[in-house]
Amino acid sequence: MTSNKKKKFYQKEGFRIRLILFLVMIAVSLIIVTPYVWMLSNSFKSTKETLVDASHLLPKDPTLDGYRKVLFDSPFFYWLRNSLIITVSDTVIILFTSTILGFLFSRFEFRGKRFLFMMLLFTMMVPAQVTMITKFILIDRIGLYDNLLALIIPAIVSAFGVYLCRQYCDEIPRELLESARIDGAGHFQVYIHIVLPQIRPAIGSLAIFTFLEIWNDYLNPLLYLSSTNKQTLPLALSFFSSQHQTDLSATMAASALIMIPTSIVFIVFQKQFIKGIAMTGMKG
Amino acid sequence: MKKGNRRFLLLVLVPCFAEVFVFLVLPIIGTCLISFMEYNPLHSENSFVGINNYVRLLHDQSFFKAMGNTLVFTFSAVAINIVLALAMAVAISQFESNRTRSFFRMMVFLPCIAPMVASAVVWLRSLYEPRGGMFNALLRAFGLDGISWVGDARYLMISVIIFTLWADIGYNVILFSAGIDGIPGNLYESARLDGAGRWQLFRMITLPLLGRTTTFILLMTLISYFQMFAQFQIFAPKEGPQQSGLVMTGYIYKQAFVNKEMGYAAAISMALFAVILVVSALQQRINRVDWEY
Repeated sequence: MTSNKKKKFYQKEGFRIRLILFLVMIAVSLIIVTPYVWMLSNSFKSTKETLVDASHLLPKDPTLDGYRKVLFDSPFFYWLRNSLIITVSDTVIILFTSTILGFLFSRFEFRGKRFLFMMLLFTMMVPAQVTMITKFILIDRIGLYDNLLALIIPAIVSAFGVYLCRQYCDEIPRELLESARIDGAGHFQVYIHIVLPQIRPAIGSLAIFTFLEIWNDYLNPLLYLSSTNKQTLPLALSFFSSQHQTDLSATMAASALIMIPTSIVFIVFQKQFIKGIAMTGMKG
Repeated sequence: MKKGNRRFLLLVLVPCFAEVFVFLVLPIIGTCLISFMEYNPLHSENSFVGINNYVRLLHDQSFFKAMGNTLVFTFSAVAINIVLALAMAVAISQFESNRTRSFFRMMVFLPCIAPMVASAVVWLRSLYEPRGGMFNALLRAFGLDGISWVGDARYLMISVIIFTLWADIGYNVILFSAGIDGIPGNLYESARLDGAGRWQLFRMITLPLLGRTTTFILLMTLISYFQMFAQFQIFAPKEGPQQSGLVMTGYIYKQAFVNKEMGYAAAISMALFAVILVVSALQQRINRVDWEY
């Protein structure tokens, strides 16, 4: 009797707390989306209307002028292309080198293995600010300044990626690899047919993590890319907004064009995203 | 078999570690060396000047300003970030429906998808705008005067911290959530049977079992906040009023790439590296003490 009462009390109390938490989280969510709503609303206003009243939620006279200005009066498609080239090639290359090096460090014995691995981990601890000065001089000397390759070539190996993949390779059952070897498969075939499928979760989360990091990167493009047509989206936006100080609708249209597509991809694949991001932390 | 081993190893290791050496290891050594030089990329000759650059640091007001701002930003933003992220992760874990949980996780992570500069531009023009901005509209609604969010040395850092929390806290909420999901449910069951309330469950089970997760998150957030740069470029493009928006990365960038004083910039970056190392070592030590207890 008493325990039943107690249980009921807990459920009731639990309900009340959950309701409060729910309302709090709804409020938090509203705070999170407010800037997005404001951005979208102003991107559809005319320049004149944004000057008179930027805080009004619904545009009085919706127009696509802002978007037109960004898409046709600025090299937006160049920026998009550059961002895509850099991000996709970096992500693909990093996935390849991370998985194969992870496999190597997990399953092979060779002289200097510990040393190489420690060296790799050490580079992870050094902040970008330390390496960027010499890296800039290097890139400048080999003639890659203001070239998209300046953002691809130095990013071929990711210490974090190798570390993550090695952790997962350690968990592949020994017999699986050995039986493949007995069947006469070469190391590269074992890598393709056994290792890659076995560490698929790590590949997924590394892909998401790397893609986001490079797509959103600001510092490296700022250092190595200078001409307008060679910039990436985040870098170009910071210039665009300072050039169009008075033109709020164009700036907001540009921001929306940069933020909305990736946000939609995220919302569609949110489960995989969140799982992937969570995994980078658990194994790290 | 042995031969195949060797060829495969060399084929993978040589190109990869050539890359690691040239673009990761060499720059560390290079910056170390350059910090003892007067190095201007436009000059054909650059000479060693001993520890001059480091001596200059000690007399440089802007350096101390940048260091101070970076420390204030990092410690306050990280502290608030960790507490709020943990609170939100725990709050989200209380909901029974899977759907509700993933909905809120998605919401808090949404800003992390956008490039920080893009979000900062939106905030600058919407919430922080002094005239028609939303924050000032809110203040006025309560009968207060609007303030200059990014134009006033007193408020700039607070504004950057608020923005950074909005833009970045989602990562840590997700990481804490994963940590909470990893705690075995039967621990809670048995504690609840013993009559423990929600707060006790949190204090006695969740918090201690999240120790490792917290250590990891704290360290990663500290290191990354020490290097924050993009949002300062947007909110304080000219270092902000009275240099209140000058942080280490911004100062290194300015010395190296605007003033072309790469030797001096290298010395500043070594100082930043030293601070990060000391803080991470301290943090590790404090946490170890915590564990033993």
